[in-house]
Amino acid sequence: MIPKRGQIELTFNWIYILIAGVVILLFFIGIVVKQKASSEQQLSSDVLRIMESIFTGAGVSEKTKNSIDASSLGEYVFYFQCQEGVGEYGVAGTGNRVQDAIAPLFSPAELPGARLSLWSLPYKLPYKVIDFLFVTSENTKYYLLGEAEFATEFLAETTPDAGVQFRLNVQSITDPELADPGQNFQVRLVDFTNILVQDGLPVPSRLQSLDDTKVTAVAFPSPNHVDYYQKEGMVWKKRTPNPLPIVSLGGLRDAAKYAAIFAGNEEIYTCNMQKAFRRLQYVTEVYTEHKLPELQAYYTILHPDIGDSKPDCPSSCAELPDSAAAIKSLNEQLRLNCLTLY
Amino acid sequence: MKSRRAQLHMSETIAVLFIFFVLVLFGLLFYYKYQQVAVKERQEELLAARAMDTTLKVLFLPELICSKGEAEPEDNCFDLLKLRSVNEIFKDHLEDYYFNIFSYSTITVYQVYPETGDTWVLYSKTKPEFTRVEPTYFIVSLRDEIKSIGEPHYGFGVVKVEVYS
Repeated sequence: MIPKRGQIELTFNWIYILIAGVVILLFFIGIVVKQKASSEQQLSSDVLRIMESIFTGAGVSEKTKNSIDASSLGEYVFYFQCQEGVGEYGVAGTGNRVQDAIAPLFSPAELPGARLSLWSLPYKLPYKVIDFLFVTSENTKYYLLGEAEFATEFLAETTPDAGVQFRLNVQSITDPELADPGQNFQVRLVDFTNILVQDGLPVPSRLQSLDDTKVTAVAFPSPNHVDYYQKEGMVWKKRTPNPLPIVSLGGLRDAAKYAAIFAGNEEIYTCNMQKAFRRLQYVTEVYTEHKLPELQAYYTILHPDIGDSKPDCPSSCAELPDSAAAIKSLNEQLRLNCLTLY
Repeated sequence: MKSRRAQLHMSETIAVLFIFFVLVLFGLLFYYKYQQVAVKERQEELLAARAMDTTLKVLFLPELICSKGEAEPEDNCFDLLKLRSVNEIFKDHLEDYYFNIFSYSTITVYQVYPETGDTWVLYSKTKPEFTRVEPTYFIVSLRDEIKSIGEPHYGFGVVKVEVYS
């Protein structure tokens, strides 16, 4: 009888230890799982915070070229979008995101965790309005088609820079069939001829195996207009019913034109340009409502016969370049003998 | 004798469980305190980063910078012709635009040379019931084109950017 009771006690003790052990183990496993999820969330939030800070720095100082090594975040994909004047970027699959209604940021719709290249250029109309920030990655391939002056400039500007390790994956080709995706994440064709990429034309054969969203193209029907295309099955599908105007004064380092190439699609382009136009309104107010009257008052004392005319504001974006060119010309004339507006 | 041994055994088990839970409680308490400190440190870090970002944005504002036609603008220089009245534009578009740039902060420029005592509050939006203020200072040159005929007149100033949390 006694050994039987002893046996029961022993068995009970083991069962008790087992249950308690399992409960304790589950408790710690729960903590570890929670901690893991929270760490991942924390990491993506930290990454975005750092990115935001880098974008701010790169975005405000004009003509800067930066390279960020984000290859350790290889498993993450960053997404970029812009709707109704508000840009958003974040890590796909997590709830973390950054919204920005101010800084125009032109990038493909998706970028993998790789070496990111950042480039900022000032947008001037004719005075500086804001800095455009272009974000792309080393494994986003840009193929330039045609021999336009801008293509040569684009190639020269994006040549690897030893100083800052700034590198864009750009290649000039004469035939679209030479486009090869290689190990790249996505491919963008930039057609300066406006005949090689057209609605319904077949996508270069070596790009046909890629996902539709990974093959895009831009074409310039005129120096101041751009069309966006995307691969749809085996052919190109035009995304813009009418060519989008490039509102700029042209010349070297035309920020609006570069933006058209770096923007993933027409939505990202137009939405970010809207941000710039909004800022233009306020910067123009500084010049027309405040600086110009002060200059006029100054010169009225020196030359009482001077008028107090104000420049006419254009009624649409299409008229902006003409007005900007007129202001630029007047400013250059002022430079000879007078104080300039900007 | 057996009952006493069983009682002893039971008390032993209870004591072990008690100590175990006390240790777990200690662990949780320690973790909670650590997290509290970490969150506070992180908030301070974020505030400092925001202060730096805001200062950086102010220094390169097209509404303030000293432009030189088509050439690159002068570094760390504010145009007094713009500076004197820019607060009106910031105020007019504070809620719908400039708050997105400067958030809860106060931006003041003090002229330190020549000593005129001039101060310009460019932007001010204080956070209701703020707990901390992080001030950042930066030296800038102040360009006044209409003060003297011929060459622009330059002075020195300090930009003070205070951010609230």
